[in-house]
Amino acid sequence: MSRLEAKKPSICRSDPLTGERARASLAALKGLVTSCYGPAGRLKQLHNGRGGSVVTTSQSAALLAGLPVSHPVLKVLTAAVRNHVACFSDGGLFTAILCCNLVENVQRLGLAPTTVIKLNKHLLSLCTSYLKSEGCACRIPVDFSSTQILLSLVRSILTSKPACMLIAKEVDHISTLILRAFLLTIPENAQEHIILGKSIIVPLKGQRVIDSAVLPGILIEVSGVQLMKILPIKKSDSFKVALFCVSLSGDLSDTGEGTLLVSYGVSLENAALDQLFNLGKQLVSDHVDLVLCQKVIHPSLKQFLRTHHVIAVDRIGVSLMEPLSKVTGTWPIGSLGSISPSSYGSVKDLCIAKFGCKHFFHLIPNKTTICSLLLCNRNDTAWDELKLTCQTALHALQLTIKDPYVLLGGGCTETHLVAYIRHKTRNEPESILRDERCSQTELQLITEAFCSALESLAGSLEHDGGEILTDSKYGHFWSVQANLPSAVNWPDLPSRCGCGLYSSQEELSWSFLRSARHPFPPQTCLSREATGSADTLTLDCFTAKLSGLQVAVETANLILDLSCVIEDTN
Amino acid sequence: MAAAGSVTVALHVAEVLETIVSGCLGPEGRQVLCTKPTGEVLLSRDGGCLLKALHLEHPIARVMVACVSSHLRKTGDGAKTFIVFLCHLLRGLREITDKEKDSFLFENIQTCGRHWKNCCRWKFISQAFLTFQTQILDYVMDHYLSRHFLSIFSSCTKERTLCRSSLEMLLGAYFCGRVGRNNHNLISQLMCDYVFKCTACESRFEEVLEIVDDCFVELKVGVTGLPVSDSRIIAGLVLQRDFSVYCPADGDIRIVIVTETIQPLFSIPGSEFTLNSEAQFQTSQFWITERTKAIVKHLQNQNVKLLLSTVKQPDLVIYCAGLNGISVVECLSSEELSLIQRVIGLAPFVLPEASSQYELSHTALAKFCKPLILRSKRFVHLGLMSTCSFAPHCIALCGPVQGLVEQHENALHGAFKMLRQAFKDLDLNCVTQTSDQSCTSGPCIYKNSRESNELPKIVNSSIQRSYQDTVVKNKGELAKTQTNLKVCSNLIVPSVKLEQNVLCSTPKVAVTDSYQTDETLRCSSPNKGRIMDDHEPFIESNSANSKPENTRRGISYENLQVTKLARKDSILPLRYKSLQTCTSQSYYSSSIPAGCVLPVGGNFEILLHYYLLNYAKKCQQSEQTMVSRIIANAILGVPKILYKSKKGNYSFPQVYVRALQALQTNQPMISNQTGLESVASKYQLLTSVLQCLTNILTVDLVINIKRQPQEVYDQDSEEEL
Repeated sequence: MSRLEAKKPSICRSDPLTGERARASLAALKGLVTSCYGPAGRLKQLHNGRGGSVVTTSQSAALLAGLPVSHPVLKVLTAAVRNHVACFSDGGLFTAILCCNLVENVQRLGLAPTTVIKLNKHLLSLCTSYLKSEGCACRIPVDFSSTQILLSLVRSILTSKPACMLIAKEVDHISTLILRAFLLTIPENAQEHIILGKSIIVPLKGQRVIDSAVLPGILIEVSGVQLMKILPIKKSDSFKVALFCVSLSGDLSDTGEGTLLVSYGVSLENAALDQLFNLGKQLVSDHVDLVLCQKVIHPSLKQFLRTHHVIAVDRIGVSLMEPLSKVTGTWPIGSLGSISPSSYGSVKDLCIAKFGCKHFFHLIPNKTTICSLLLCNRNDTAWDELKLTCQTALHALQLTIKDPYVLLGGGCTETHLVAYIRHKTRNEPESILRDERCSQTELQLITEAFCSALESLAGSLEHDGGEILTDSKYGHFWSVQANLPSAVNWPDLPSRCGCGLYSSQEELSWSFLRSARHPFPPQTCLSREATGSADTLTLDCFTAKLSGLQVAVETANLILDLSCVIEDTN
Repeated sequence: MAAAGSVTVALHVAEVLETIVSGCLGPEGRQVLCTKPTGEVLLSRDGGCLLKALHLEHPIARVMVACVSSHLRKTGDGAKTFIVFLCHLLRGLREITDKEKDSFLFENIQTCGRHWKNCCRWKFISQAFLTFQTQILDYVMDHYLSRHFLSIFSSCTKERTLCRSSLEMLLGAYFCGRVGRNNHNLISQLMCDYVFKCTACESRFEEVLEIVDDCFVELKVGVTGLPVSDSRIIAGLVLQRDFSVYCPADGDIRIVIVTETIQPLFSIPGSEFTLNSEAQFQTSQFWITERTKAIVKHLQNQNVKLLLSTVKQPDLVIYCAGLNGISVVECLSSEELSLIQRVIGLAPFVLPEASSQYELSHTALAKFCKPLILRSKRFVHLGLMSTCSFAPHCIALCGPVQGLVEQHENALHGAFKMLRQAFKDLDLNCVTQTSDQSCTSGPCIYKNSRESNELPKIVNSSIQRSYQDTVVKNKGELAKTQTNLKVCSNLIVPSVKLEQNVLCSTPKVAVTDSYQTDETLRCSSPNKGRIMDDHEPFIESNSANSKPENTRRGISYENLQVTKLARKDSILPLRYKSLQTCTSQSYYSSSIPAGCVLPVGGNFEILLHYYLLNYAKKCQQSEQTMVSRIIANAILGVPKILYKSKKGNYSFPQVYVRALQALQTNQPMISNQTGLESVASKYQLLTSVLQCLTNILTVDLVINIKRQPQEVYDQDSEEEL
């Protein structure tokens, strides 16, 4: 269609960050994401007056997907966060808050963007190289001989999403299920390249969370009517399976571009049906026990198969095709003619299972890496949230296998990093000053902005008005309740730090986070005993958090570098 | 719209554009965020992109944007500089005209002013600009600037080989102006690696650049959500789709390309298929199945492991291929297909008419063929064995947002365009040559004879103009000079061919006499003086040569060449050992040789400024003086912006003064910046801007049409109906 109107000229605004509008919208977004962060985060209800379901969430993936953003700068920010989440599933809020904090802090300073960007980049490289180094004290190598660390990781992810509405017992249950589902996807005889299998999440809404289960193999949902038609399954130790990707409905396949002339009295439908019956006969003579079809099976063919004691299930859908072909070891058959015997597969057992009010056809494989995670939750919104969380956790476990480290959670990594950067820039500023050609003051200002962005990120874990302390030995995060009687000596109160690694038994000196204090070198090199002793740690996915940190700083740099915005108003 | 204010109006428009564009100019430039009506955001520092995104309405602005985009299509670089330079030119023009109105200070300008007021003066000015662009600019470039050029090629031999460090500097400077300042190092390093990895044969890098530029879209993969630092080069070709069937295979993989479905269809277009019975239908279906199987089986027998198809293949083909261990990739775009064909030189497989044995001639080999997972998306990864000089590699560009990835893609694509331009010889718009084309004996002769032809042309034009002013000249005499000159060159060229030095002397003397007299007769003395002045700083050392050269170049060919070379050697900084090539190459023809570069940071601008001013001092024609002055001053606008944020010793006035001192004392200019830029692109930019300016100046009325442009079309089509 051609345009009826000429294009309107665009609007060009210079210095997009200095305006009141920009500051206000940035602050609004920051408030929004900050209040969602952490286990004590507040939930947001996204509601569209025009219709659609109401979403209750505290996850960045769901929140930002439904949030309309008008300010172009914020569009960049939210797009960056959403892309990060699409890659790593975890750490979206972390990235968003850090990016907002950085932009706000640096904007306040009013330094030349060149210096700011250079120094931010330098500080980021300090952080990443420290986090990747052996001496890093906020990184724990994963011990795959026990499930403790992996379980802690899953549990931390589950507890940080309050919109799943889980109680402690349910968290325990779901986190063991997730870990088990993940372990089932690991092939037994691992070669050089491990190809992980897949856990299929099967929805079962309206049931108790405790009813969730993990089953090896694949669950195919069947309706009650279909179930009536399925014959009782005879006992056998192996079932022969044929999996079709072509339609078995007897329709004519592509006949080409030219015309097809059919004489009077010739019925192509009958011809096609004859062909289907021939196919059915071949299946029967090949002793196939189960016929699965991605598309539709003609009722006559179904009837024919039933009379010969072959189970037929159709309308499986394209998403299940790949796992099915993996589980059964079949080639999806694309021909109605002769079928090569090598394209049949087999399963160990078949059964019909009922979970809640749904009936499933359960294919139990001999040995594969596919499993089904039957996930229950009370209502739709909570289920959606739980599903997202499970996917996040599974993804985090996959990333952890690739890079076998986890980071300390609960704000401890952030405060520890802050202590490290402060110490580093105070004691060895010469190299930075030489490399980046900036003044000592500029370096100090930017470092302060960077560190306070990280600190207030850690601080936003606390939503109930509590105080946040940090110790001067490890640089960890400690929070205490608000409104304490002043008589009480508050440093005695916190019993464990944010990640749960250290307890207050040790002689530690505390100070308020965000208060002026002397930079100290945080203790590096995590001791093995320390990680072993604590049973429940709060942990974060290493890869996701590292990339989140990089993306946040890069995006903040990008935003700070903007000189003007051209808005196309067409 | 009246024409009177056209310069003022154009200046207003250009100034608005300049404020937008100058913010992103140079290494200190910042980013601009463009939002699209679809809600996407695009980050950009690309001038062309910004100008397009503005959707300008003003007619003059649209002319400018059109000029910029046509320039960009040619060179891929310089949109921002274009606007800045144009703006300064307009500013200079207005100042001149203002001065003219207010006071009649200079005699020359006074006369010209009167002249202009009588005639259509804008047209006159624009013509002056055109003459400048076509004659003086090339002359100045060739005669004065060329001795400062450096070459990007590393060796002195004729074979051009790329020098890594200078390529790095060239790309570094380019990306400084194109991508965000925290990424330009990374991107330019990436590109440099890419160019060297893709070049299988060192000397044929131009071919590689051509392929990459043409097929860049197919050679990059954008990945969002990862930090920019994760961008990398992937060996082999990445197709942006998944396998339809993937059968793992080891060793060399035989590939076949098909452009039609393997399964025969019932009927082809334009034909009719009559079905008379059900049995016939079944047998034909059976035949189709059997035939498909036979073809796939045949492919398997020929050890084919991978089938690349431009169309979607039916399920049956996929099934048969899977059973026979053949991987299939479907729905290749025509661009991907042409890239693959260029790399491996493979023609599509033609289906055999009969299913009998048919030897496959159209196959190629791949080292590997496997799925590649980037950000949980699956791609086809092919290790094609290249049959040309291009070793296939892909760039995976990562970035937190799509807008940034796109910016990097565009910048990379532009960089390839820029490199292609930089490695092309650029012909300077010189006088048509008569005898020169045939003369291919040696570089020195070629150049010299060209010079001898060029100068008379300038003399001619100046003579013609001075004719209007004062001295009465004889046209017949003029023609005589020309013939004389032709004789001169014709005489000497063959002789030089025979013997380089000694034999030359005899014809030389004779010609010299005749010519010198001619020249002293007609050439007004300032013209001669100009030449003398020009060469004074450079020829001081060999004063013996200066005289014959000043009188006439054509006379002392060998001497001239020697002095020139000597001069160049003394000027060139030592670290560029490639200079020698550059200088010797410059004798081949009147062109800016391929790979000519200058250091960044306004070097080109200051040089041109200096020589143009020098030229203007000696030039007698008032409008030429004026035009040269305006251009010389306007061109400084670019370095002024580049050095805006620098302080102290690095501020623009300091740099400028130092550069001028260096030029006057005949010392190498010292640049405090690392990075190079292509001279050819700068030169092209200059000519494009001048053309744009003449375009703007010659328009005297803008007619505003309110009608829909489509309406005309519609009427036409209705009439046809």
